Amino acid sequence: MVMGIIFKTVNYTYQPSTPFEQKALKNISVEIPTGSYTAVIGHTGSGKSTFLQHLNGLLRPSSGEIVIGKQIITPETKNKELGELRKHVGIVFQFPEAQLFEETVLKDIAFAPKNFGKNEEEATAIARQMARQVGLKEELLLKSPFELSGGQMRRVAIAGILAMEPEILVLDEPTAGLDPKGRLEMMEMFKELKEKQNLTVILVTHQMDDVANYADNVIVLENGRLIANGSPKKIFAQPKWLIEHHLALPKAGEFAVNFEKKTGYKFETLPLTESDLASQIVKMVHGGVQNG
Amino acid sequence: MGKVLLGRYIPGSSLVHRMDSRSKLILSFFFIVIIFLANNWESYLLLFIVTITSILTARVNFSFFIKGVRPLIWLILFTVLLQIFFSSGGTVFWKWGPFTLSYYGIVNGIYVFCRFVLIIFMSTLLTLTTAPLEIADALEKLMMPLKRIKVPVYEISLMLSIALRFVPTLMDETTKIMNAQRSRGVNFGEGNIMQQIKAVVPLLVPLFVSSFNRAEDLATAMEARGYHGGEGRTKYRVHYWEIRDTLGCTFFVVVFIILLFIRQW
Ligand SMILES: Nc1ncnc2c1ncn2[C@@H]1O[C@H](COP(=O)(O)OP(=O)(O)OP(=O)(O)O)[C@@H](O)[C@H]1O
Ligand SMILES: [Mg+2]
Repeated sequence: MVMGIIFKTVNYTYQPSTPFEQKALKNISVEIPTGSYTAVIGHTGSGKSTFLQHLNGLLRPSSGEIVIGKQIITPETKNKELGELRKHVGIVFQFPEAQLFEETVLKDIAFAPKNFGKNEEEATAIARQMARQVGLKEELLLKSPFELSGGQMRRVAIAGILAMEPEILVLDEPTAGLDPKGRLEMMEMFKELKEKQNLTVILVTHQMDDVANYADNVIVLENGRLIANGSPKKIFAQPKWLIEHHLALPKAGEFAVNFEKKTGYKFETLPLTESDLASQIVKMVHGGVQNG
Repeated sequence: MGKVLLGRYIPGSSLVHRMDSRSKLILSFFFIVIIFLANNWESYLLLFIVTITSILTARVNFSFFIKGVRPLIWLILFTVLLQIFFSSGGTVFWKWGPFTLSYYGIVNGIYVFCRFVLIIFMSTLLTLTTAPLEIADALEKLMMPLKRIKVPVYEISLMLSIALRFVPTLMDETTKIMNAQRSRGVNFGEGNIMQQIKAVVPLLVPLFVSSFNRAEDLATAMEARGYHGGEGRTKYRVHYWEIRDTLGCTFFVVVFIILLFIRQW
């Protein structure tokens, strides 16, 4: 099923018409192509999590309209109409380990597929498979999720969403608080999964390296407004603009900019990933000095 | 959870906001007690004028008070209808089985309605203009005499402050977990009773777990910073009884005296 996502001048206000009113999204119009790996970046409080919660109708726009596949979400859409959509959109929330509740790890992972109509056996089979996928050892499956370490709990929670076999996978800082190795494993796992099953992935992150390494589309939010949308190349092309908006370059790009400043060499295009940086340096060394 | 507005503190700098929380607490109780002395049009009118004056002095939007009444409207209507149909006296307009619609019934109904509205407005005013922790402080100070008869006043007030402090946190947490479980296919508030009870488990278990964790963290943090019970602790928020508090109390005493004169004996 093709599930394109289109936001049409979406506004969202928390606690409208009270003194605590907070406009969290302002006139957002954007399209997220099916099968893309979209990174959503922006400062703390810029509205990223609010944006994500619109993707399966947990929040409905205060005004405007969102189209996801065949489902149109307007301010008037009823909760009941959204069950079908929620089957197809899996959201891994910020610190998802807070959602664990079952007696065993296996049961917790099987919870969502059971809710969405799978029988006990099918759900358990999917749960086992997903546990393997996120790197949980077999002997943990019958333990209580509350006996696990923080990192293991995170994996259980993520597996619980993957078990829904969503077509759109939404990740809100899924690796925050994991160790570097676990982080890399997770990100590689998402990438592999996306390629194998042709998912649409939407990732909120503060790690510009993740944006450069994995995303092919970037949405930049600031104070609830969309201030840029395009490929990582386009977004990272103007280091000055990034600094103005309190964003950073990926490490490789940062290195390249400093390298240009110190040595006077010029890169053809600003490298964003380590491998790109390495190959450009190799080319430079072999191709001789262009500029002294 | 934006609906829970009753009792939410709205910061401000009006005279009422700046009054000592003790005097506000005492005056609110005092007012609620004297409401029951009112028994004719004049006395209710007086109390309404007092309430409106207090609200105007606090400079809080009137819509908050209407919103305070709304969640209780069914309870109020039920009580009012009971009064109207089951109290009798005066001219009888209509009678059917045990129900009578009489002059006194109608008047009583209106009085009961006024009483509810006055009590709700005044207590809403207290909680809208006084931070929860200040109310807890005021209670602690006012309960101090009970210390003599071995009531654990410090402990009670600490428990109260902590509970009040964590209400908003707990509500945020509840929203978050509900959202997470909704995304996993739970439908809250739908289906038959059994389904609804089953839907509560994935919400309550994480809430309990996180509350217990939080309580443990809080206890550790308090011990690490040397908390050793209430005896001899000084306060971060120090309150002084000022002229405005004396004025406020005088105002209400005057109201009370006028009320004594105009009520029906
Ligand atoms: N439940 C809520 N009630 C009121 N305001 C809220 C609520 N949730 C978020 N906000 C406000 O909306 C704005 C956007 O919040 P949001 O959580 O979407 O930010 P974010 O970009 O995800 O930040 P972070 O990077 O810290 O996760 C913030 O100013 C926040 O204070
Ligand atoms: Mg967030």
